[in-house]
Amino acid sequence: MSKRLAVIPELCSGCRICELVCAIEHFGVNNPKKSAIRVLITYPHPVVRMPIVCSQCKVPACADACPVEALKKTDDLVELDRDLCISCLKCVDACPFGAIYAHDQVDNPIKCDLCGGSPQCVAKCPKKALRLIPEQVLGESKRLNNVLSYAHMKEIEYMEKGEKKTIRYAEIGKEEL
Amino acid sequence: MSIKSGYFKKHLSVDLSSGSCTQLDLQESFIREYIGGRGFGAKMVWDNLVAHDFKVDPLGPENLLVIAPGPLTGLYLPSSGKCSFISLSPATGVYGDSSMGGSFGAELRQSGVDVLSVTGKAKELSVLMIEDAETKILPMPELKGKSCLETEGLVKQALGTHEINVACIGPAGENLVRFACVNADWSRNAGRTGIGAVMGSKNLKAIAVRGARDLPVHDLEGLIKEAEKAYDYMRNHKFFDLWQREGLMNVMEYANAAGILPSYNFKDASFARIGQINGDTMLDGYKIGDSACFSCPMCCGNICLVKHGKYMGTVVEGPEYETCAMLGSNLGIDNFAAVLHAAQVCDEYGLDTISAGNLIGAVIEGYEQGILSLKDLDERPITWGDEEAILELMHKIAHREGIGDILADGSLRVIKTWPKLDKLILQVKGLEQSAYDSRAGASMALAYATSDIGAHHTRAWTIAKEIELGQDWSDEEKVDLVIYHQTLRPLFDMLGVCRLPWIELGLNEEHYESFYSAVTGQPATLAELLQKSNRIYDLTRLINTRLGMSRSDDTMPYKVHSAPVRTGPTAGQVIDKQVFERLLDLYYQKRGWDAQGVPAAGLEKQFSP
Repeated sequence: MSKRLAVIPELCSGCRICELVCAIEHFGVNNPKKSAIRVLITYPHPVVRMPIVCSQCKVPACADACPVEALKKTDDLVELDRDLCISCLKCVDACPFGAIYAHDQVDNPIKCDLCGGSPQCVAKCPKKALRLIPEQVLGESKRLNNVLSYAHMKEIEYMEKGEKKTIRYAEIGKEEL
Repeated sequence: MSIKSGYFKKHLSVDLSSGSCTQLDLQESFIREYIGGRGFGAKMVWDNLVAHDFKVDPLGPENLLVIAPGPLTGLYLPSSGKCSFISLSPATGVYGDSSMGGSFGAELRQSGVDVLSVTGKAKELSVLMIEDAETKILPMPELKGKSCLETEGLVKQALGTHEINVACIGPAGENLVRFACVNADWSRNAGRTGIGAVMGSKNLKAIAVRGARDLPVHDLEGLIKEAEKAYDYMRNHKFFDLWQREGLMNVMEYANAAGILPSYNFKDASFARIGQINGDTMLDGYKIGDSACFSCPMCCGNICLVKHGKYMGTVVEGPEYETCAMLGSNLGIDNFAAVLHAAQVCDEYGLDTISAGNLIGAVIEGYEQGILSLKDLDERPITWGDEEAILELMHKIAHREGIGDILADGSLRVIKTWPKLDKLILQVKGLEQSAYDSRAGASMALAYATSDIGAHHTRAWTIAKEIELGQDWSDEEKVDLVIYHQTLRPLFDMLGVCRLPWIELGLNEEHYESFYSAVTGQPATLAELLQKSNRIYDLTRLINTRLGMSRSDDTMPYKVHSAPVRTGPTAGQVIDKQVFERLLDLYYQKRGWDAQGVPAAGLEKQFSP
């Protein structure tokens, strides 16, 4: 079953622990600038904390741009073959998300490989803003939120055996969408 | 044994007058003895004083500004995002420092610099750009008068990159407000002791840093092992979720219940309408996100947005407890949106919220008592909870307009101008007091009095123990605890890490000896490290006494001994002067300082350049 690394920016605090553990896992050094995941922050309008990491696209723009076919789509990954890679960094430019990185001390472009199936960033994120989830589940929370925004929640109070109670119910369709 | 790693051993020395930027090597003995952060800063400030025969104006070009992360800054271990800003303080005239979270320190280290020092004065308003230890001074007079947030954006734009770290000052720093702060990562501050004014006096509007180097670690595997233990401990702590959810705002209810929450300029120590400015209020209507410093899982910084009303559109990181207390209850403001707006205004102008809240509180009370006339207030009356007048006053302070020009010089000048305000302003050595009322316990009064930078709580925060134990502990225990805090807490500043995992979640301090040993390759026990931080406390005391301070400057603010708390759990409490003097005697004795608080004559030689 194909799994995707999902990013939930609303939960990200910008602590950059993901960057630290990624670089430690892949390069054995303490250097967030050698990480394949980076948190980008905009403030104050809009306030966004967004970890940017490879989406393992099924039709990868990076692979298209690669002149030596070093990037290939496999089952779960867009895999980089370091032996073929000539480090022209065309893939860095080609990625529409800027999710491939370069560093002058690293021979090849830096790209997420999902740590062979158990990504360290997911394991160590203190806010659970990064998750490895089955592909068909992607978008689940957005669908739910969309449904909830359609229903306008109301609350009424009533008395039961002399005790005050409240009940919540959905008033549907009253708000213009 | 020797220091095998943990440092680049580089000191970047910048002279803005001549425009020279020099890379100097750090000696191993210096690194070993002073560790980093405020340890490096204190020694360099001392050496600069010696070189100038102790004639240094905090706002003169000869004053040295030191910016120093520590050997643990930027590493994979809890809350390693701290960086110290050290200088002579324009607020007190003596030693000053302030530490900043965020990720500026981590970025500075990644550029290959262990410590940055800045002296002189640039001809025009300038930006210092450091990239992989290559340094440029870029004149940018167009930044004049820009707010901190605008400045960070404009510097990034001018340098053509979003991925760079900027520490900057706002109009308050440019206008030499003696409690101006330095702002980085949009809204992380080195808030206290007026370091922003030191930058302003040097025409240094901003420091932009980018670096990409591996941080030196002797035993990375050992470090990670220890770090995982510490992270696991924190994640499993019963208060961990509370900290993620409310951050420092959870202290509001605690302080109110304990009777240590400043209200109405410290007339009260609890606030009747606490429910309108507490953590629940924030969660219910304002919080839109979390903000963490580098490598910190606690993410105690909240991000709040005002969604409706006259302050709609206000976005602020925080508020932290200090800000919410000093700009909220202390000014009688019960409108959380107004507190957020005031915090944002302080962030933009680059004003320290603690000092601003103190001084404005004193102005309101001074006017109430008739000490200040309407004329003194530029014909603009002000009263408790008067949001608009309070915001106007902040503007006047930052721009030195009218009464703001006097307030901008801090407590000492305010008291000189209106001597009767001395009884209303809570300050020690010229630094306004933090938001923990010390009338709850004598050890906290001692902590403020003997803090090297003035009435700030980070040196020793014994108030929690006071609340826990009441009066039921001996003088000796109190003094010992103050000294222990004053020894351990500065160690965090020297190592470049945050103290909150320890003080709030009880993370064992022995982790830090393991971190230090793994990073430097020089095994050290906690006791050995504390010896070194204790030595720094002696050094900063020496700086202060050589600049003329003594026992008569280690004082309690008037209200603490003579104005009982009006209402609440601590109603009627003051600190007895005799008790305080007795504690102070014992404190000096334990420190090995004489009855006037002056360190032994031989001490100076230890620190000869």
